[in-house]
Amino acid sequence: MAGVVVKGRFPRRRIIRVVATNVFRYLFRGAARNWLRNIGSTAPALSSMTLLLLLSGLVGMVGFALHNLEQVQSAQASLLHVYLRDGAPPADVGALWARLAKDPRVATVSYVSKDEALARAQGTPGLPQLAAATDSNPFPASLDVRVKNISDVAAIDRLVRSDIAVDAADPTSYDKGAYQRIQAVLFGFAVAGFAFLALLGFVAVTVTMNSIRAAIHSRRDEVTIMQLVGAPRWMVRGPFVVEGAITGALSGATAGLITFGLAMLGMAEGSTTFAQFAPGITVTVAAIAAALVFAAGLGLGSGSSLVSVRRHLES
Amino acid sequence: MRPILEFTGVTRAYGPRLALDDVHLALEPGELTFLVGPSGAGKTTLLKLINREIRPTRGEVWVDGLAAHKMKASRVSELRRRVGVVFQDYKLLPRLTAKENVALALQVSDLRVSDEEASERAIDALEAVGLGDRGGSFPRQLSGGQQQRVAVARAVVAQPPLLIADEPTGNLDMDTSWEMMDLFADIAAFGTAVLIATHNVEIVTRLQRRVLTLVEGRLVRDQPAGSTGRMAWLALS
Repeated sequence: MAGVVVKGRFPRRRIIRVVATNVFRYLFRGAARNWLRNIGSTAPALSSMTLLLLLSGLVGMVGFALHNLEQVQSAQASLLHVYLRDGAPPADVGALWARLAKDPRVATVSYVSKDEALARAQGTPGLPQLAAATDSNPFPASLDVRVKNISDVAAIDRLVRSDIAVDAADPTSYDKGAYQRIQAVLFGFAVAGFAFLALLGFVAVTVTMNSIRAAIHSRRDEVTIMQLVGAPRWMVRGPFVVEGAITGALSGATAGLITFGLAMLGMAEGSTTFAQFAPGITVTVAAIAAALVFAAGLGLGSGSSLVSVRRHLES
Repeated sequence: MRPILEFTGVTRAYGPRLALDDVHLALEPGELTFLVGPSGAGKTTLLKLINREIRPTRGEVWVDGLAAHKMKASRVSELRRRVGVVFQDYKLLPRLTAKENVALALQVSDLRVSDEEASERAIDALEAVGLGDRGGSFPRQLSGGQQQRVAVARAVVAQPPLLIADEPTGNLDMDTSWEMMDLFADIAAFGTAVLIATHNVEIVTRLQRRVLTLVEGRLVRDQPAGSTGRMAWLALS
């Protein structure tokens, strides 16, 4: 009797499960176990990278706030407050308003009363105390003139200074070179921040690379045996890269949480003042900064260990 | 029959010094061969060339059809799965049991091997070397001879066509050394080519197997099985 050949089904799902189990064991579980075993030699890398990432997060948020501040200053630089003399007749104020509104260099003109000026000052750091120091309202009414081009602010200032409706002692908010000074200061901050971070980054990468090198040396026999029994290159190198990634991820998570916590603390402790000094920093921005810090840690840890493995682990 | 191992005009230099000089040899499946020679003759260099730990300066090294002499580092693992290796110092992982050491060799070379299959095959290999009841022991709990047998089990568990051993009896007493040689002979009997580098004169002369003699990097003698005289060996040493 002839036999019937039954075509067996290839157990692909089982093979995938077995391969995944083995990859997890030799790549991730082995790396985690070794990382814990070598925690003593990893600690310097962990702490230096946490410090770097924390400072990066803080510097990044400060940079973001300064960028927003620069935007605000840029917008404010094109806005000229023309302070009106107390008791100036409405007709004189109206004439000045009309003259400015007709000027082709002017975009908009708006009137700010003394009460509105006081209300605005109370939202500005330091000024509420000044307002409370006297019974009367010290803030003058003004015409807020937004010019089309920042370079025309000086000309508009010259135009209104001698006007009869304008306060002779303190005619406008124009401060020659203020905007340029702010830009110079911000540029200085940016350069110093990048240089500082580059230095810290170099230190963190070097320390991480050295810790991975120490791990490679301490497990040289194990590496040799793995290579001799035919382990593929990724299986020999992979655990070291995962170890670096664990270091980076832990540093990133710690630094990210601290960054987020400090931002939240700042927002909770002085919401008004904080919003003035760090414009644009919100819960969302802080959360994004924390996530970026975590991602940077992961990349930095795995990247520096990959470099170290390539340099110190021969095939 | 195509040789499992073939050296064609192989030279290996370390700076100005020639560790191997124009070596030609071939090993057939099932052949048990001894590699002898004084210290510094080039025995370890020859074994390292087989396992692609180093590359020849000149010549070709073919292992089971693979060109070891021009193999890229990224493909070396492919070659090493076809070569079982036994060392004088056993090279077992101390944190793994005997069974795990053997199973590791299976799983790192083929990720499709499940834990159950690896465990079963590891136990089979340990039983074949007479250590079926010591699978749960760590290397530190085993004698030198037992550790070497675990190393042999690890080397053959994936059934490689070639087994190389570098002074496998160097740390063993004479009785254990003979046990090891019986083991190697059994492995060869099942079709695996076995190449053993050794200094052990008694074993080489009494076993009467093929003997390759290296002196100062040159293969000076290739004695076929059954023609190994004690006096001839002593003269070369």
